[in-house]
Amino acid sequence: MVMGISWVVIATVLAAAGGAVGVVALRSDKVGRAALICMALSFGAQLMALGWRGELRGQCPLGDLGEICLFMAWSLTFFYLVTGTTYRVSLLGVFTAPLVFLLQVISLIPGAFEKNVVSAESIDAWREAHTSLSVLSYGALALAAVAGVMFFVLNYQLKARKFGGGLVHGMPSISRLVQAMARIAVVGWLILTAGIIAGLLMPKGDFGIHLMVATITWVLYAVLLGVYFVRGLPGRQLATGLTVLFVLSLVVFAKL
Amino acid sequence: MKLVCLGLNHETAPVEVREKFALLDGALDRETECLVSSEDVLEGVVLSTCNRTEYYAVVNGGSGVAELEDWICERREYRGLREGFFYHYEARDAAEHLCRVASGMNSMVLGETEIFGQVKKAYKRSLEGGATKSVLNKLFQRAFGVGKKVRTHTAIQEGATSVAGAAVELAEKVFGRLQGSSVMVIGAGEMSRKTARALQSRGASSVMVTNRSFDKASDLAEEIGGRAVPFSGWEEELAHLDVVIAATGAPHFVVKPQHVEAVRRKRKFRPLIMVDIAVPRDIDPEVGEIEEVYLYDIDTLQEMADEARKRREEQLRLCEEIIREEIDKASLPAVND
Repeated sequence: MVMGISWVVIATVLAAAGGAVGVVALRSDKVGRAALICMALSFGAQLMALGWRGELRGQCPLGDLGEICLFMAWSLTFFYLVTGTTYRVSLLGVFTAPLVFLLQVISLIPGAFEKNVVSAESIDAWREAHTSLSVLSYGALALAAVAGVMFFVLNYQLKARKFGGGLVHGMPSISRLVQAMARIAVVGWLILTAGIIAGLLMPKGDFGIHLMVATITWVLYAVLLGVYFVRGLPGRQLATGLTVLFVLSLVVFAKL
Repeated sequence: MKLVCLGLNHETAPVEVREKFALLDGALDRETECLVSSEDVLEGVVLSTCNRTEYYAVVNGGSGVAELEDWICERREYRGLREGFFYHYEARDAAEHLCRVASGMNSMVLGETEIFGQVKKAYKRSLEGGATKSVLNKLFQRAFGVGKKVRTHTAIQEGATSVAGAAVELAEKVFGRLQGSSVMVIGAGEMSRKTARALQSRGASSVMVTNRSFDKASDLAEEIGGRAVPFSGWEEELAHLDVVIAATGAPHFVVKPQHVEAVRRKRKFRPLIMVDIAVPRDIDPEVGEIEEVYLYDIDTLQEMADEARKRREEQLRLCEEIIREEIDKASLPAVND
């Protein structure tokens, strides 16, 4: 347990370092690679921690609050690293790292990780696929929301003509951010689609409120993205939609 | 043996004096040849740009800048006042001055990069003409190294210092790269030309020019390789544009919110940057309230340019330190001896 939890602590410290290094880099008007390296190392530590929980459970580690937060942080870091080179997201790390840090801090709250975990005797592959793909999709959708927050910041600064400081200089352009929001959200939506399909293939009687909420979320994202790609939307409305939808669905899932 | 530098520039001499000493490419070779043909001059490089003419020479101990100044004025048949127009440096001071020039620290637009190439070209001509030997060869090579170091280790060339440059910087903040973007210039004056040129230099591919006088629009369009659009038809083009530059002499707003509102759906709400460099303003400030429109007026651009200039000036101390360090480290004959 001590060895396992220490991976979570290491991942949390590295995420905090990633955020701090990113802010320092921004203040000096430079978007350095140090934040990216910290996040990559944090990702490694998250994998070790998830491996520890997975071994304990004998299935996908999504059985308690600690594991869900950790999986979510891992998913967020994964997409951050994957999209990094394309969208100059070492800066996105400045916005992502605090979220990853927060999720991991929650997982470290005493009691978040169940102590006496009973290893699963049998595994339903569709259920495993449904839960893991759903949480993975939320990582991508969270990153789209983070890009949305970045858009709000840059949009405000450009509209209000506040050009001082490293933030404007280190940010990707407005067009790039809009593109990033849409593309990452599409990836998240596609993974969510796969997660819902897996949910529908679960044994009868397992359809729960979770699946219903996930389906409603899927429909809302589909409408938002559909409107954006077909009719077009101002960047601010897309950012608002992605941020509100993500926060709303997170709140609903937390209440369930 | 002594290293000397004698010259005049935009800070010391007015244009009517500078133009008398300016040398065209063809005349430069002859000037350098004449300079080193003198018994007392062992090596020489002549640099002539629109803002400066400078002579770098290695002379025999007895000769000095006074003789060189007389020689230059005689060649240019200049009999007017000289007081304060010429500056001169010797030995280490001359070396440091050359480094400042190559680094753009001595330019009219602080930190500009063109001068580096001009100094290189001047040196190359002298080298090929056999006018340089060990002293100037080592000095110029060192100056080029220093110039590169100053530019990479300081922020001397960062930020746009002109209104046109600031407009480009903002457009890049909205669109990233400007490759393939469409620009419309409303008004066919000098500022329109400069800004359109600046955007073209960063990749803007399609430039349209519109003006109340279609002839003027055609002239400017031809000059910059764009397309003239009748003034009555500019609103229809708005649907396909990324950047609008307005610089007319109209006493009222030319671009109004309803113009943009009419094409928003057609544009699929893509970002649109509007730069209003006219006084009185051409674009109604309410246009800037539209979500995807980023509107900037001349004051904003001027402020950006001023701030960039200030930031560059703050880098001067750091640049001077680099130059001192690099000259200290170098073993330059007639400089560190």
